[in-house]
Amino acid sequence: MGNVISDDDQARFRSVVIPHLADSYALARWLTGDRADAEDVVQEACLRAFRGVGGFAGKNARAWVLTIVRHTAYSWLRKNRSAALVVVQDLEAVEQAQASRGAAPDGDGAVTPEVALIAKVDAARLETAISELPMPFRDTLVLRDVQGLDYREIAQVTGVPIGTVMSRRARARRRLIAALGTDDP
Amino acid sequence: MTTTTNQDDPILLVHAYVDGELDPAHALEVERRLAGEPALAAEHSRVVALRRVIGERLPPEATPSGLARRIEATVGLRHTPTRASWRAMAASVVLAALAGGAGTWLALGPGARDAGTDMVVASHMRALMAPQPIDVSSSDRHTVKPWFNGRIPESPRVVDLTNEGFPMVGGRIDVIGRVPVPTLVYRHRQHLISLTAIPSAGAGHAPARRAIAGYNVLTWSDDGIAYWATSDLGSTDLNTFAKAFREASAQQ
Repeated sequence: MGNVISDDDQARFRSVVIPHLADSYALARWLTGDRADAEDVVQEACLRAFRGVGGFAGKNARAWVLTIVRHTAYSWLRKNRSAALVVVQDLEAVEQAQASRGAAPDGDGAVTPEVALIAKVDAARLETAISELPMPFRDTLVLRDVQGLDYREIAQVTGVPIGTVMSRRARARRRLIAALGTDDP
Repeated sequence: MTTTTNQDDPILLVHAYVDGELDPAHALEVERRLAGEPALAAEHSRVVALRRVIGERLPPEATPSGLARRIEATVGLRHTPTRASWRAMAASVVLAALAGGAGTWLALGPGARDAGTDMVVASHMRALMAPQPIDVSSSDRHTVKPWFNGRIPESPRVVDLTNEGFPMVGGRIDVIGRVPVPTLVYRHRQHLISLTAIPSAGAGHAPARRAIAGYNVLTWSDDGIAYWATSDLGSTDLNTFAKAFREASAQQ
């Protein structure tokens, strides 16, 4: 192939990838936590997408592009910040063990004061709490609550079954509720 | 919901319920349990509160200016925008508009309707690339509605959906075929929804969804107006929007 670029691929790249740059950048920003790094990741992801765009035959361009962005961000993090990638299985095992001790950690019934505290939280604290979520929880939360993908699309982007999306989704929210529903910032 | 492992965990079902991901049978089941189980109801109210603050408080992440251009340069795109297909599409709709008279081209059948949908999506994409996706910026329907008067024959129905989670950003005029049509712009989290309203001779119909170039498009028609809601929102959120809009405009 070399540098031969068909007009067809160019047109496909413009119609498939370019419309989703804003979402790509936002996802990369949430995953890397840094604007300059996010731009690098998006550039790299677009190169990959461009090479693969001839073979894209799916219907959901946004999910396809975000899959590549997420993948690129993970490779980038592995190379540059391996500490950020805690192994998911370990985390999930720990939480499973906690969950089996009692159904819901604070499911004592009453409408808790947490609701009022959460409602008052400001943007900075919310942003910090989200960026402190461990990786697989963070991307599931961002894809759903910030970018509005449905469960099926998230399953496609993150490459896990819908059941796993549901449980990560719930755990991500749980962690945020625990972080935000308390008086001390 | 098709899941192999977590079907029975009521907490997960509550989250999926809040996300609008449950089929009606499961949703009813969750509603029944919420009424009878305070622990679940408490989880439900916490999740709703969290979803609301994420939707309302997080500032939109601005994409760096020039990013698209730098990326096109990175992948070696030449700047020869391919317009052929767009022109062909536009021409076919213009013909339809001429044949049917302004405003009635919708009644011409599925071919014109498909081309129309493509053009509505194109207008939405164009608006996202412009510095401002709107011509008039206001969240006040008493500002937006009069703005359309005098610019187009019929001012659209404008409803306030802030309480439903869809604050209005403003409005603009799109040109579909050769017909200027009103488009209202609403926001949900960081996502914009373009709602284009066109007088239609056809009978009313319930929302139908299509996906074009990664955007979801819902079309429906009420009281002689056909609506196109275009957004990169997921289909569940877009359905919620359509439902809220139809309910609010029916009450007007």
